[in-house]
Amino acid sequence: MTQARFDELIHPSTRLTLVATLAAADWAEFAFLKDRLALSDSALSKQLATLEEAGYIATERRLSGTRRKVRARLTDAGRDAFNGHIAALQAIVAEATAPAEQRPV
Amino acid sequence: MDNIAPEQARSALDAADRARRQVAEEVGLPRGYWWGMAAGWVVLGVLGAETPSWLAGMATAAFGAGHSVVASRLLSGRRRTDQVQVSAAVAGRRIPLVVVGMLLALVALTVLAALALDADGAGHAGIWASVLVAAIVGFGGPEILRVLCRWVRA
Repeated sequence: MTQARFDELIHPSTRLTLVATLAAADWAEFAFLKDRLALSDSALSKQLATLEEAGYIATERRLSGTRRKVRARLTDAGRDAFNGHIAALQAIVAEATAPAEQRPV
Repeated sequence: MDNIAPEQARSALDAADRARRQVAEEVGLPRGYWWGMAAGWVVLGVLGAETPSWLAGMATAAFGAGHSVVASRLLSGRRRTDQVQVSAAVAGRRIPLVVVGMLLALVALTVLAALALDADGAGHAGIWASVLVAAIVGFGGPEILRVLCRWVRA
């Protein structure tokens, strides 16, 4: 079972969407992520670099014809962190919707 | 964690779910697969109508073998484009069954269309039936698959 753990690194909205996108895929190309997140090249590169430094994603540079393509995938540590973060968010929502007498004091 | 309001948590969960659904929409087969299938359909229709039955039978077997080679890579529905590979958990395991079921239904439609055209006195009924179904496969294959997947929640 996933342990709820709020992750400050993942929580910012752009990064959360980026990690959620990668969590639903085995891998995704830079162009796909850029299109889906509507980010500039430099903004996406920055987000990917931050997540890669934390060990949450791995990137791979491949030659496709004459073009160099970047492919990103979530690492096991990144997947654990994402699942833990989602569980933590769900816990916050559940706590708020629980009847008052069931809430921890 | 304590300074996150429930509304913020809820909107973050919604954003994560939206991202997951965007990736799930990538499930499908490449356009080229459907046009290849449509071309094969017409070729088999012509061979079935214009050549001896042994040749049409061999062509059908070759088509089936070729399809199984391509299908082993594509039928999971996780590689519609070369930009993303949808995870197996998101794609589900029913896509290959849906595609095969759809192809069997299209074979039945071809036979029915050929019989109807033949009964109507049309020449080359088998060829026209295969052209009709090929057009459906080529132009509407991805959309039909998407609707079927929604129906069976694949």
